[in-house]
Amino acid sequence: MKRKRRKTVLVLILIACSLFLTGCWGTREVEELEPLIGLGFDLGQKPGTYLITEQFAKPTKGETSTSAEIHRTFSIEASSLREAYEKTSKIISHVPFMGSLKVIVIGEDVAKVGFLDVADFLQRYSEFRRSMYLVLAKGKAQSILNVKMRTGTIVAMYIKDNIETGKTISTYPTVRLGHYLTVLGRKSTAPIMPVIEMVKSGDEGIEYETDGKEEAQELRIQGAGVFRGDQLIDFLNDEETKGYMWLENQVLQRPMSTVGTRKGEPNFTGQVLNSKTRYKVSDKDGTIGLQYQIKASIEIDEVQGLKEQLSETEWVDLMKGAEKSFAKVIQKECELSIQKERRLGLDFLGIGRHIEERNSAYWKTVKDQWEQKIADFPVSVNVEVTIHHSGMSNSSATVN
Amino acid sequence: MTLGSAVLMGGTFVLIASGVTVASGRDGWMTVLPGFAVGIPYGLMVLSVLLQYPNKNLLQISEILFGKWIGKIIGMIYILITGYYGGLLVAMLGNMYRTIMPLTPLWVFYLGELLLVLYLLGSGIEVFARFSEVVFPVIVIALALNIVLAIPQIEQGELLPILSEGITPLFFGVLKVMPFPMIYILFLAGISSFLPTSKQDLGQLKTGVWRAVFLVGILNMMVVLIQILVFGPRETIRLGNGILVLGKSIEISRTVSGIESLFMGVWLGAMVIKITACSFMVSWGIETVFNLKGLKWNLIVGAVFLGIAFGFTRGPYMLKEVSLVEGYLMFPLTSVWIPILWGVSRWKKGAGNQ
Repeated sequence: MKRKRRKTVLVLILIACSLFLTGCWGTREVEELEPLIGLGFDLGQKPGTYLITEQFAKPTKGETSTSAEIHRTFSIEASSLREAYEKTSKIISHVPFMGSLKVIVIGEDVAKVGFLDVADFLQRYSEFRRSMYLVLAKGKAQSILNVKMRTGTIVAMYIKDNIETGKTISTYPTVRLGHYLTVLGRKSTAPIMPVIEMVKSGDEGIEYETDGKEEAQELRIQGAGVFRGDQLIDFLNDEETKGYMWLENQVLQRPMSTVGTRKGEPNFTGQVLNSKTRYKVSDKDGTIGLQYQIKASIEIDEVQGLKEQLSETEWVDLMKGAEKSFAKVIQKECELSIQKERRLGLDFLGIGRHIEERNSAYWKTVKDQWEQKIADFPVSVNVEVTIHHSGMSNSSATVN
Repeated sequence: MTLGSAVLMGGTFVLIASGVTVASGRDGWMTVLPGFAVGIPYGLMVLSVLLQYPNKNLLQISEILFGKWIGKIIGMIYILITGYYGGLLVAMLGNMYRTIMPLTPLWVFYLGELLLVLYLLGSGIEVFARFSEVVFPVIVIALALNIVLAIPQIEQGELLPILSEGITPLFFGVLKVMPFPMIYILFLAGISSFLPTSKQDLGQLKTGVWRAVFLVGILNMMVVLIQILVFGPRETIRLGNGILVLGKSIEISRTVSGIESLFMGVWLGAMVIKITACSFMVSWGIETVFNLKGLKWNLIVGAVFLGIAFGFTRGPYMLKEVSLVEGYLMFPLTSVWIPILWGVSRWKKGAGNQ
């Protein structure tokens, strides 16, 4: 009897579970959703407001069109993201789905005054992920997200793809929301963010078909912005950013050129195959300093300015010269980055954290005056380049 | 050992990282294992008392050693604390799930877990032990996966410098962890009437205590370690449900990313085990103190849990209350009651021998 009663209770529990615990509560069909994939922040016209640009991809049926091709972008002035969400929901017929957000573009104006208040929602709301990419717009985020790409690609997807393939050139840092928040917690380290800008046909020697349109139809990620907390202080140019990439051990693959560094002698271009940056905190007669040691392996892709065929020994000597030339280029990029750090008094290279990690007793004595200390803190860079190979030929084609 | 480990583990991995990092900074991970190890002497004391009074739980033994009324008062405190804590755990589970599934009504979570809890409570300790044997390995695997898959997200150098603030902050971290094994000790105090007391069995039980504490301590230490490595100490402190955020950060490929929902079912199992352990403790307490048992009383226990849970719908307030109960009720009760009981039993044994 007792056994029968227990079985009945068990069956009732199972029925109740299958009825109530199906996981369909609050279900939203994918057709009803409009996935948000890009978000931009600029300052609004009214004080205390932001111009929030939302880029949605519309899911479609059929084989000919993909979600990447059908999209729409709204810019809404609101004091918070939730308010912008409400205003957008009134316009679009679908439910904005925020869990699909890939890219956040911070406008230059809002970056200068600080954006953490409006970004708080991004790290608090459970649908968002810390893996979203952050980029800083040269100019307005709205303008960036509204660029009509010649390929028809959604700007947010372009930015995401560009960042994800960026490791093949390693010229700008990848900053995810989680990384930014972690760096923010380090106090001594200044956060950094890659810069996205519009490229018009004819800008800096880049030309493309424009269909007669004046506006930019291409974008480029180059350089970086340096922040004090959430406030933009200055920009790093391309070379300074490359120096940052070396010093932060973020170079995976990287095209390089020595053109212009060897007057009257052959110049080289190549590809970094791998690199490793180590550092150590040195103590010379009580003077604490930081020594970077960069080791890079490079393949040579081009030799320019070679007038005659070289013997095997001459070729070996030439390659030794190439190693020095590449090392010089790397050294210069790193020094430019260090100079910028000293000039800004902002430790975007994380030198303070390196010292804290290796010599915490010394760090405690300097941490309160660290920004002043950066200007003359001894930092040295030692670069060692190895030419791994010189492609498919040992010498260049020359005219007899 | 598995049941003990499962009860000891419960949902400790959800909140532990934030707590120990507040107290000990980036060295917080070092405090976890010593904090859990505090449970070992208490566990051994319970087993030692049990050897003298076989087939009795510690509430019954208290009545024998301290007298009926003091024993009953201890029993009442035991019921109130474990009952209140069990209700808070129901609320905590609802709160945790609501952050991920905000549109699902709270009662759905409560109903789901309480049905399971009441079924296990009604089926007895053996079924509960078997349930734990099935679920606990899954919890361990899920935690291990969470830790391993989060390795690519590690921020370099977040663990360094080690012990830069000396060892004093570690003591505060250990103090934060110490209440966690106390619920296991209270469970051990209640379950002791079901435990075998032959010399060989007691030896196995002692080994089980050691193993449970070290297994759960090491797992929790790894959870704290990976959170400090991925988020950095400041973020670890700030994140309320660090383990869920960790699950969201995981990216195996473009299509397999943010897989925290896969782990949510496992965390549910972990919480159900702890809530069931609390309901068993209340049930044993009621049986010992008031001599009441049966389905009706189990349902009342479930209703009380539900009432407490619905009384704590404000998340931050509830989490503070959980921490207060662990630190200021459960910990003092266990740390005073068990050693005194053990001391008195030893003294009486000594007096008896003379």
